Amino acid sequence: MNKKVWLSLAMLLMTAIVSSLSIGRYAIGLKEVSGILLHAVGVDGYFSTPTIEMQSVFWNIRLPRIIMSFVVGSGISIAGATFQGVFRNPLASPDILGVTFGASFGAALAIVFVTQVTMGIQGCAFIFGILAVLSTYFLGSRSWDKSAAVLVIAGIAVSAVFQAGLSILMYISDPYDQLAKIYFWTMGSFQVASWAKVQITLPIVIIGTALLCIFSWRLNIMTLDEEEALSLGINIFKWRLFYIVISTLIVASAVAAVGSIHWLGLIVPHIARYLVGAEHKRLVPVTAILGGTFLVLMDTMARSILTTEIPISIITSIFGAPFLGYLIISRRGGALEGDRAN
Amino acid sequence: MTVQIKSLTAGYGKHPVLHGINMQIGGGKLCALLGHNGSGKTTLMRCINAVLKPLEGKVVVMNKDVAMLSRVQIAKIVSFVPQSSHTAFSFSCLEMILMGGVSRMKMWSAPSRQDRQKAWQICEEVGIADFVLASFNQLSGGQKQLVMLARALYQDAPVMLLDEPNSHLDFGNQHKIMSLVQHIVKQRGFTALITLHDPNLALNYCDEVIMLKQGHIIASGPTELTLNDVNLQGTFGDNIKIDTTSSGVQVVVPRYLSQYT
Repeated sequence: MNKKVWLSLAMLLMTAIVSSLSIGRYAIGLKEVSGILLHAVGVDGYFSTPTIEMQSVFWNIRLPRIIMSFVVGSGISIAGATFQGVFRNPLASPDILGVTFGASFGAALAIVFVTQVTMGIQGCAFIFGILAVLSTYFLGSRSWDKSAAVLVIAGIAVSAVFQAGLSILMYISDPYDQLAKIYFWTMGSFQVASWAKVQITLPIVIIGTALLCIFSWRLNIMTLDEEEALSLGINIFKWRLFYIVISTLIVASAVAAVGSIHWLGLIVPHIARYLVGAEHKRLVPVTAILGGTFLVLMDTMARSILTTEIPISIITSIFGAPFLGYLIISRRGGALEGDRAN
Repeated sequence: MTVQIKSLTAGYGKHPVLHGINMQIGGGKLCALLGHNGSGKTTLMRCINAVLKPLEGKVVVMNKDVAMLSRVQIAKIVSFVPQSSHTAFSFSCLEMILMGGVSRMKMWSAPSRQDRQKAWQICEEVGIADFVLASFNQLSGGQKQLVMLARALYQDAPVMLLDEPNSHLDFGNQHKIMSLVQHIVKQRGFTALITLHDPNLALNYCDEVIMLKQGHIIASGPTELTLNDVNLQGTFGDNIKIDTTSSGVQVVVPRYLSQYT
C-alpha cells in the first residue's frame, strides 16, 4: 500500500474532524476543543476551561454527528465499491438493487400512516429497503439468465415501483406537515444524529465494513466474466449473494438512519481507484476512509454555509456530479475504468 | 485417461448441441478440437469445465466425475483460457495472473509475497515480464492471450482448456501461442484441449485431433492418422484437402487453390 496515500488520508481525516468539531453556528475554537478533550481525561488548566454549554454542544451534538457522518459515508462508499465490483459496472451505485427507493417508500409510509416518531420511521425504512432488495433478488433468480445484468434490470423495475409508491404517498400526504418531512427525508440530513442512532447504525456498518475488507481480494475475481470466475474456482453465485447481503444491510441501516444520500457511493470508489488502482484489497479500505472523510466535510458545509441547514444530498450532488463530469473529460477519465494515477 | 467423456448429450434449453459424445484424451497430450461454427466445440469445453450441466452422460477428469466436484475442486484440476478477456476495471497483468491462484487460497486471504514471486517466474517463462505491471485492458489481443495463458499456468491445473485462443490474433501471434502451449504441455506434462479454426495449426502443433460435425464426433485420434482428406472434407466440406509443398511440408488448403499449384 502506498504510504503517501495513507498518510494523506489520515491528515485529511484529522483536518475534517477538527474543522467539523469547530465549525458551526455555535463556534468552538481549537483551543476550546483541546480544552474539552483534556477536561474529559481530567486535565485542566492548559487551555481555557470550557463552559457547560460548550461541552454539551461538543459531546451531545457535534461528536455523535461526526461519528454518524463518518460511519454512514464509509458504509455507503464501501457498498458502492462492492456493487461496482459485483455488477462489473463502474456506474453501479449502492441503490442499484432498489434499496434507496424501498427505504424512502418505507419512511414515507410510516410518516403518512403510522408514526412521526423517528425510530418508527427508521424501522419502516430499513424493512422496506431490505424488502426492495429481496424483491429484486427474487425477480432475478426466477430468470433463466443468471447474469448480473438481470439483477440490475430487476433493480430498475423494483425501484420504479417503489418510486411510484413514494410519489403516491407524497401526493396524498398532508402538505403542511407530512410532505415537508418526506421531502426532507428523501434528501438526507444528519440533523437527527444522536448517540442512540450511532449505537444502532455503528455496529451494523462496522461489522459489514470489516467483512467486506476481509473478503475484499475476492471482489477482483467477481469483476471477471462469469465463466472465467467460475473456472478460477469461485462459486460466483454464492459470493455475489454474500456481497449483496452485506452491502444492502450497510446501506439500508445508513439510509434508514439519515435518509437518502446521493452520489457518494458512485463517486468515492472512483476517487479511491484513481489513488490506489482497481485492486480491491487496497481499494476497499481506502474507499471506506475516503467516503467517511468526504461526508464529514460535506456535512460540515451543509450545516454551516447558510443559516438554515441544507439537506446533505444537495451538497453531495453539487460536488459529486461535476466530479463525474471531470472524470469523463479528463485524460484521467480512465479512472472510470479504474486506471491508476501513475 | 486424463479426460473421459461418456455418452454426453448437452445443449441449451431443450435443444441438444452435442449428441451422445464418447471420447478420451490421454495425459501429456495437446489435443485439437476441430469443427465448423456451431458444431459444438465450445459446448464440449463448457461441459468439461462443468459450467454447463449435461442433459445426459458424464465427464470424468483425473478419474473424478466433475458433476460431483465443487468449483474449487474443479479449478484444481481444470484451467480455462477464454477467447478474449476484458475487465470492467483496469487491473495490472500481475493482478490478473494472481487471480489464477484463488482455488489454493483461504477464503479471507490475499496473495502473499511468495505467490507474487511464483507469478513473476511464470511471467518470465511466458515472456511477458516486460509488461507485467501494465494495465491489462490496454494490452493488444496477443499480449492479453499470453497473460491469460500465464494465469492458467499459475492456476497449475493438470488439464488446460483453451477456447479458440487464436481467434483474434495475427499470423505471428497465432504461432507464438501455439508453440508456447506445445512447450508447456511437453515440459509440464499437462493435458491441453484446444479449439481451433485453422486445421494447419492442429497439423503443426497438436498430438491428437477430435473432429466434430453437428454435435457428433466424426473422427478422433493421432493427428498424422486422423487429419486426412476424408475427415477434413467430412468436417468442413468438399473443398478442402491436405497438400504437400515442394519442400515436403504438409498444409491444409482449399481445393480450388491447390488445383492451381
